[in-house]
Amino acid sequence: MALRADTTITRRRTLYTFIGLYWAFFFLLLEFIFFSSVARGFFSIRVIQNILFFGTAIFLLGTAETYVIITGGIDLSVGFVMGFATVLAAKLVAAFIGLGMGPAASIALGLGITLIIGLIPGFINGILVACLDVPPFIATFAMFGISHGVSELLLGGVWAKNLPHLANAIGNGYFLYVAPGKIVSFFQRPVVQRGQKVLEIIPNVVVVTFFFIAIVAFVLKRTKFGHHTYAIGGSMDAAVKAGINVKWHLIRIYMLSSFLATLAGTIYVLKYITGKGDAGAPFLLDAIVAVVIGGASLYGGKGTIGRTILGCFILATLETGLRVLGVSTFDKYIAVGVILIAAVLIDQFSPELVYKED
Amino acid sequence: MKTNTAMEESIGKTRPQLTEVVAKNWASFFLLILLVVFSFTGRGFFSLATLQTIVHLSTVLFLLAVAETFVIISGGIDLSVGMVMGFTAIISSKFMQIMFKAEIAQGTCMLVGAVAGLVICIIPGLISGLLVARYRVPPFISTLGMWGITLGVQLKISGGYTIPFLPPKLVDIGNGFLIYIHPGKALSFFKRPPGIDETQIKELIRIIPNSFIFLFVVLIVARHCLRNTKFGQYTYAIGGSMDAAIRAGIDVRKHLVKIYVLSSFLAGLAGVFNVFQAGLGNFTRFSAMYELFAIAGVIIGGASLMGGKGRVFGSIIGILIIGVLEIGLLTSGVEPFYRFIAVGVILIVAVVIDHLFPDLF
Repeated sequence: MALRADTTITRRRTLYTFIGLYWAFFFLLLEFIFFSSVARGFFSIRVIQNILFFGTAIFLLGTAETYVIITGGIDLSVGFVMGFATVLAAKLVAAFIGLGMGPAASIALGLGITLIIGLIPGFINGILVACLDVPPFIATFAMFGISHGVSELLLGGVWAKNLPHLANAIGNGYFLYVAPGKIVSFFQRPVVQRGQKVLEIIPNVVVVTFFFIAIVAFVLKRTKFGHHTYAIGGSMDAAVKAGINVKWHLIRIYMLSSFLATLAGTIYVLKYITGKGDAGAPFLLDAIVAVVIGGASLYGGKGTIGRTILGCFILATLETGLRVLGVSTFDKYIAVGVILIAAVLIDQFSPELVYKED
Repeated sequence: MKTNTAMEESIGKTRPQLTEVVAKNWASFFLLILLVVFSFTGRGFFSLATLQTIVHLSTVLFLLAVAETFVIISGGIDLSVGMVMGFTAIISSKFMQIMFKAEIAQGTCMLVGAVAGLVICIIPGLISGLLVARYRVPPFISTLGMWGITLGVQLKISGGYTIPFLPPKLVDIGNGFLIYIHPGKALSFFKRPPGIDETQIKELIRIIPNSFIFLFVVLIVARHCLRNTKFGQYTYAIGGSMDAAIRAGIDVRKHLVKIYVLSSFLAGLAGVFNVFQAGLGNFTRFSAMYELFAIAGVIIGGASLMGGKGRVFGSIIGILIIGVLEIGLLTSGVEPFYRFIAVGVILIVAVVIDHLFPDLF
């Protein structure tokens, strides 16, 4: 390349950096403007709540993936761990109901046990990656196969069923019901006259999702655990020399990732009242794409939950927008693939990253 | 370090130790053990028909594994092979369907459909190759992107259904056999001996599926390419050390693009073959996990994910293990889902062995 005058270079640099840093915001904005002008009734509280409601899995898996990617690894098993969790939770709850327990108790117990068992795939992943030096990509890939096999085995060919109605009420309920000018009620739909409008605000599952995401984001940003995560991703050797117990830390991170995937699975059960082995399969791509859009580097050491959430928003909006437009969701995969490649290219061209890599 | 000295000692000896032979070829021995075990547990497992079926049903996986072998040796990974396969199957079957509807001769339909599929299937590989080589996108991300795009395109074209109404001759070719023997009465090539009724079909012995010949040719060509040509040597060189390859004057960028195109082409070949085998245009499902099996086969076969290591023959053994496992479990009456678990476990074991004994291979 020929040399250019200094000023143009700096100007180009700042422009590139600007685009590299903020293109995701603009993209989301454009998406909203586009769908609002093309799709009828897109811009409303209802639809925006729907984006959040249907996006819970993407948000959770994206958060899980952020942690792993910051350490320089990757977790390909999140999708099928989530599927495994849906199957396990559905089976457990149905089993507890069968034992004659009340619906509330069996849901609590079933989901609780699932969340604990959900740590196991992550633990195995972590051991493989940290102690046995298996590349993260292959360890989690194998876990992807194993968790799929186990969930199909549990299902035995039919979807899980016989879940209590309470699960539906929780999963599809809202945090806040407002009948304008009359009544405000939490969790329970107020009894009103026929014809009276009741505003439903914030689905329960969204509250749960963002509660956990907030905790995890706080941990990443403000605690030692988070700092160590960045340190490991920045340079494994330096982290070891700084006295961080890298092995144990990596194991914990893969367990966290697996936990969040399991949480997404239990939420899926509450939402759709069934368990499916491949429930989470489509979200694996989405989760990784969201993290990449968020500007995390696949070489590790870079990335924040906030920006990942932005990436998740872009994808969730895309999905809901296409649905409102009535376009087949098949187009979504194409769009997501293109966005992924575009995001990586933008990262590659933004000088900040090139500088860092060199 | 221990393994190093052990190796040096063993090199000095004229005859390698038995343990070393076993460790080097653990995959082959494992395959043998599997065959023996399933012969005892599975009813009718050890028969010509079953063994032929195993290879016949694994044809697609063999092709995908060969594609993956090239990419993995170069130090990359191709996650899109399974989806490219479905993508090609849908495109070529769509061509066939349209032409067959227009009452064009079956032979032409099949030929044009297959060629069209094989031409178009190069595109995903070209794109991911360019991304990897020119723009330094990590291979696994660029192929994941193509995974999404090819998945979307194939679902869009097929509308989420398999594509029916294809020329009926497809299946005759795809599932045909080279030799048919009607014991003591007739022997014929490619076609069933004439004048056989339903009851006699059971007595018919079928030898060598057509897919064998096809597969054999592809594997031999791939093996030759990898072992004896410049193309193969460059592939190993790039996988061994990218920097060294550049300094040695290899046009690494161009070569990487070629490798991804080749991988995509082989995946497309698998897709076209799948149309011939099924007589339908099948799209790839999420839960099919062709990538898992293909990559697992290659790794079990002794390739290293770090690049620079791997053989076509090894990948063949790897895929055979997976195929034998599937049919063996089936004939033994075990639920087929154990296959996913077993493959996952074997994959991990293979990688761990590779990591613990890096000097073995």
